[in-house]
Amino acid sequence: MLEIKPVFNALLRSKAGAVMLLIQIALTTAIVSNAAFIINDRIDYLSQETGYPEDEIFSFTVKSFDPNLDLSQKFEETETMLRNIPGVENAGLFNASPLSGSGSATGLSLAPASERGPDVRAAYYQADENALNILGISVSQGRNFRADEVIVSQTRGVFPLVVIVTRTLAKELFPKGDALGQTVYFGSDPLKIVGIVELMKGPWLQDSKPDNVAIIPFVSASTFQHIIVRTQTKQRAAIMRQIEDLMLEDHSKRVIIGLNAMDVKKAEYNASDTLMLRMLMVLIIVLLLVTALGIFGLTVFNINKRTKQIGTRRALGARKSAIINYFLVENAMICSVGVTIGSIGAFFLGRVLLQHYSIPALDNMYILSTALFVIAISLLSVLMPANKAANISPSIATRSI
Amino acid sequence: MLSMKNISKVYQTEKVQTHALRDFNLNVDEGEFIAVTGPSGSGKTTFLNIAGMLEPFTGGDFMLDDVNVGTLSDNQRADLRNQKIGFIFQGFNLIPDLNLYENIEVPLRYRGIKSAERKRRIEECLEKVGLASRAKHLPQQLSGGQQQRVAIARALAGKPRFLLADEPTGNLDSLMARQVMELLEEINREGSTIIMVTHDSELARRAPRNIQVVDGQLADFTLYQNKAMDEIAAKAGQPAIEA
Repeated sequence: MLEIKPVFNALLRSKAGAVMLLIQIALTTAIVSNAAFIINDRIDYLSQETGYPEDEIFSFTVKSFDPNLDLSQKFEETETMLRNIPGVENAGLFNASPLSGSGSATGLSLAPASERGPDVRAAYYQADENALNILGISVSQGRNFRADEVIVSQTRGVFPLVVIVTRTLAKELFPKGDALGQTVYFGSDPLKIVGIVELMKGPWLQDSKPDNVAIIPFVSASTFQHIIVRTQTKQRAAIMRQIEDLMLEDHSKRVIIGLNAMDVKKAEYNASDTLMLRMLMVLIIVLLLVTALGIFGLTVFNINKRTKQIGTRRALGARKSAIINYFLVENAMICSVGVTIGSIGAFFLGRVLLQHYSIPALDNMYILSTALFVIAISLLSVLMPANKAANISPSIATRSI
Repeated sequence: MLSMKNISKVYQTEKVQTHALRDFNLNVDEGEFIAVTGPSGSGKTTFLNIAGMLEPFTGGDFMLDDVNVGTLSDNQRADLRNQKIGFIFQGFNLIPDLNLYENIEVPLRYRGIKSAERKRRIEECLEKVGLASRAKHLPQQLSGGQQQRVAIARALAGKPRFLLADEPTGNLDSLMARQVMELLEEINREGSTIIMVTHDSELARRAPRNIQVVDGQLADFTLYQNKAMDEIAAKAGQPAIEA
């Protein structure tokens, strides 16, 4: 039978160990639930879909130092050379690489710059009609750019008239209606939305709006030029190894820098998040381990302290199961108070973290599941020593020492 | 009601076999008050432990109220102990974190007795040992004699057929020892069967029946008067085992 009242009364009369354990359980619950939530949030972040076949894409930068070179013409030849490499699907000039941590952003508005109107921040890529194919992305509504819509220019004298946007950006610009066919303004230049893609991340995953992205059909070859290449599956590493030689063969007065596979570059960009994730995981494991050991240790200590008492209880007619129950009930009491305090603590800790760091509001499910998990660990930790206690011989009661 | 036939108890270590009891025979009738004496290490406590089912015996037959103790499981022994036997220990063995009321309640809870009935019995027993006003006190707030009276109350509360007392006055001064002894005698007069292990020969003499354990065997007090038994008693120092 469960002895709730006497266990409770006995606990109240020798509180010290129980209170220490209770504090430990409360802290563990508060910290682990928040840490688990942050870990999950970071895992979601790190494993989010970007829209790109990241393991097929790489990028590099070409620094040209031949003053007599016609850059536009040379890069057209270079693009053709790159596309003809066996294993290359497509390649082209870009102003920035997705997921790389560097790029361009602007405010797109519904009215020209002269008339003040609401504007929506968006990252943008400038490239030709091959852009979507190079990035492995398809249009879900509307169409891709036509070749004749692409402006190739060394100046901004002529600006394109069309744009392709992501679904998220389209919705933010035109929350009520269909964005397709509408005009938005890049400064004072009007751009008609001709196509919408479902998902295409910008250069900064940590941006508050990483999904607001536009592609503008504008190519302006420069002496510091980004090129993005998409290869056939599993061909990327081999092609990356030969790319510098091929580029220099194509034209010798240039330097190839920043050769990066897309997924590797993304991992570098996210390195601090990955580190935090791992540290939090270690923290959680250590905390749970320390708590489990604490409970185990306290129970062992209590059993050693109460050997005679346990023997006496057995002599007075306690079955082994009654002894195990005693310790389980005692532990469950400490633990339930501990997780209750811990859950309240977790809630407030979550609010503090929310206020001071860019962390979403703690989901209460995390508190609940952590509390249940801590209770489970706690009961498991007490089971082994309690079993040992149940095996104490009742004859110990008649020993004088 | 209690019958032991050829009971033996062997403690086995890696190299040594120690016979704590051998060919131990005893019959106890209802209402008896038996004092068990004997030198240190003679097997008194082992006998008491086996009689109280606190430890298993190695050989022989032990019947308790027509139940063959040797065939019982651990749980059955625990239940039987709880129902039939009340223990009084030399060191009182009260649970320090429980007050007097809760201490006496322990065996009643194990028996599954309802709260109201528990309360009635506990109050009755506390009254009997003269500590009714101190139900809420903790054991350490009482003197040794008072603590032993609480332990007696705890043993009585379950209305056991047997009271097994292991040196009940061993930790008490003579005045308190006498009070405790008087209490035991009163309990015996009311019908309880008592088996009391003691060192104190004066105390033992007050019991109607005395038995002596010597070298793991039983010697009846009447026989102890004989010369032959004096010789056995003289040898008693040899195997020093206190279980």
